[in-house]
Amino acid sequence: MPPIDCEDQELLDGFLAETTELLEKLDDDLITLEKESDDTELMNRIFRSIHTIKGASSFLGFDLLVKVAHKTEDVLNRLRKGELVVTPEIMDVILEATDLVKILVSDIKAGDIQERETEGTINKLLPFLTDAAAAATKPPLQPAAAVESVATPPSVPPSSEPAVVAEAVADSASVPPPDAAPLPVPKPAADAPKKTAAPPKPVQGKGGGDDLSDNTTVRVDVKRLDDLMNQVGELVLERNRMIQINQDLQQNDVNHVDFNEDFGKLTKRMSFVTSELQMQVLKMRMLPVEKVFKKFPRIVRSMSRDLGKEVDLQIVGEETELDRSVVDEIGDPLIHLIRNAMDHGLETPDERLAAGKTRGGTLVLAAVHEGNQIIISIKDDGRGIDTERVGRKAIEKGLITEEQFTAMGQREIFDLLFLPGFSTKEKATDLSGRGVGMDVVKTNIKKLNGLIEIKSTKDIGSEFILRLPLTLAIIQSLLVEVEREIYSIPLSSVLETLRVDQRQFHVIGGQEVLKLRDIVLPLIRLQKVFNVQPRGETEDFCYVVVVGAAEKRMGLVVSRLVGQQEVAIKSLGNYLANIPGIAGSTILGDGRVALIIDPVAMSEACE
Amino acid sequence: MQNALVPVKTDATHDELIQLVSFILDQEEYGVDVLKVREIIRMPVVTRVPNTPHYVEGVINLRGKVVPIICMRKKFGLIESENDKQTRIMVMDMDGELMGFIVDSVSEVIRISGSEIQPSPAMVAGGIDQECIAGVINQAERLLVLLNLEKMFSRDEKNLFTGM
Repeated sequence: MPPIDCEDQELLDGFLAETTELLEKLDDDLITLEKESDDTELMNRIFRSIHTIKGASSFLGFDLLVKVAHKTEDVLNRLRKGELVVTPEIMDVILEATDLVKILVSDIKAGDIQERETEGTINKLLPFLTDAAAAATKPPLQPAAAVESVATPPSVPPSSEPAVVAEAVADSASVPPPDAAPLPVPKPAADAPKKTAAPPKPVQGKGGGDDLSDNTTVRVDVKRLDDLMNQVGELVLERNRMIQINQDLQQNDVNHVDFNEDFGKLTKRMSFVTSELQMQVLKMRMLPVEKVFKKFPRIVRSMSRDLGKEVDLQIVGEETELDRSVVDEIGDPLIHLIRNAMDHGLETPDERLAAGKTRGGTLVLAAVHEGNQIIISIKDDGRGIDTERVGRKAIEKGLITEEQFTAMGQREIFDLLFLPGFSTKEKATDLSGRGVGMDVVKTNIKKLNGLIEIKSTKDIGSEFILRLPLTLAIIQSLLVEVEREIYSIPLSSVLETLRVDQRQFHVIGGQEVLKLRDIVLPLIRLQKVFNVQPRGETEDFCYVVVVGAAEKRMGLVVSRLVGQQEVAIKSLGNYLANIPGIAGSTILGDGRVALIIDPVAMSEACE
Repeated sequence: MQNALVPVKTDATHDELIQLVSFILDQEEYGVDVLKVREIIRMPVVTRVPNTPHYVEGVINLRGKVVPIICMRKKFGLIESENDKQTRIMVMDMDGELMGFIVDSVSEVIRISGSEIQPSPAMVAGGIDQECIAGVINQAERLLVLLNLEKMFSRDEKNLFTGM
């Protein structure tokens, strides 16, 4: 294996960027190909991608990569020419090969090229380059034609070695040698090479090589960049105008009326330009959710084959855009939810038929914008959540008591699923059962200030709905005053505000509550929670901000409402992270710092 | 005590010059490594942060960055005093994070050679946590206590801080 001897780092970077992009697309295309095997345009595109990767890596001298890519290309070429027919077995091998390519590329990226075991995968590819392979996968009508066309195949690589193997296998077509890669007879063939070759298993559940995707650089549309430059130009002009006004004011050669007018105009223009700028930059940070979604078809495919289930994955709204930071965080929770749906939700074909459903289950992954939120839902038409079973399991594990269970509503039982260590599985498998997944989902979604909702009907299916903020950097907030201290509440969790006479408060079991229409609202006095020194006498009237966190509702008692403002979130740094009830801070117009209240944590403290 | 001293000795091999920022706290003079000090500012408006240890004065806006502020007097159990014109915040780099410390006043930057640093007598400086004293510098006219502020928060306190 040659070390990375490219003197031109730029060339290497370019290669990595291009290859990564191609590989990302490749996975998706390959899955689609399996469904629509007669799409020649798609076939050609796949072939071109792998060809480009091969070409570029041979130019840069990455021998291992060339070898794997080359063999994959050969198989693809035969598929393209119609000498082979797309079967799940061929796809398995091709996907394994692309995974290997990904691993090799990430080695190169990490700057540390290792000697990887590639023979196993290559050996699996080889049988498909033989005449027998063509015969085996072809419909029995035209095997002769296939053999003929392979007689002098342009696809067989110039190096003689594989050709020899190919011949050997072809010769002994009826009696495959035990340790050479066996013939691709549909089912057993797919399993057999796994036993004989035992290559390094590249995919570890995650769909393989998703660490390839690079989040340190961004590609931005030149037009967006130009727009941004224009806005910055305008901002510079406004700055100059501001300097001018200030100078005039210093030299006292303006009258008050003029100054007021000029300054007023300037303020308006500045605010216009900055909000435009904000929009532009926000747009640049936006990524289509497709970036996360596109690795799912692959995962679903491999899982459905592992589990012996038939699943039709439908993806809706993959063009929905959301902030990079959110995109980076939702990948893991979604994988867990999909795994759960595949493993727990959907039934096997036999079970489905017995239940009067179609053989194949449907899994719908949808993303949609709603206000300044994005809603991602994962819906299956499987067996639904068995509340009884969940409850029993929780009692068994000592998480709740029998009495608690009988008092629980459906929603509370669903909430049990999120407890760490909870699983209805008797035995942990590769896929699920350790009871970690849903905890991960909850933690990540909470980190993003999102909400999770579960809808499920027994025997009809379940739906997991994630509500996420569009961006984490700038939020709409409601500024409130608590005894002269200003706090900010994320507007997304504010449901309504009320002005109430304190005499209307009731006390139930030491907890202050407010009767609001038909619900009893628990109240939290921010002054008490935050230990704010009371200033002046308490007034009869105060304001109650009704906030919702997940399914909980509560009222925050404040002295005054200041108004609504768009604020940029600033972290409090490591030392002050995790203060109960505080999500972060922001800087107000007058330069002071205001703390942002975390309604979710507040609701937990309330319990 | 001895342990706290070792790193300083090795850092500043005997005659190497080190620069210290000296500041006053309850009439005593202290010094910290100049390279740890990012800037020295006057008291701005401090926003109180609820449910934190008593010595956390709050947070300030330092040109768009939110920086936590620690009151040194409270931290070291000294008598609290009103802030006056001399009161300063020393913004320090603590393991890559900025943090401000309120001190009575900042005097000067002094150069000393590493050999001048002596181990501190066991009972020095009343309430100040022994762990953050890296040594004392005894010059003709003055006695200067050398602090290592990164040692200021014991592991327990750090955990309490991050709520972990």
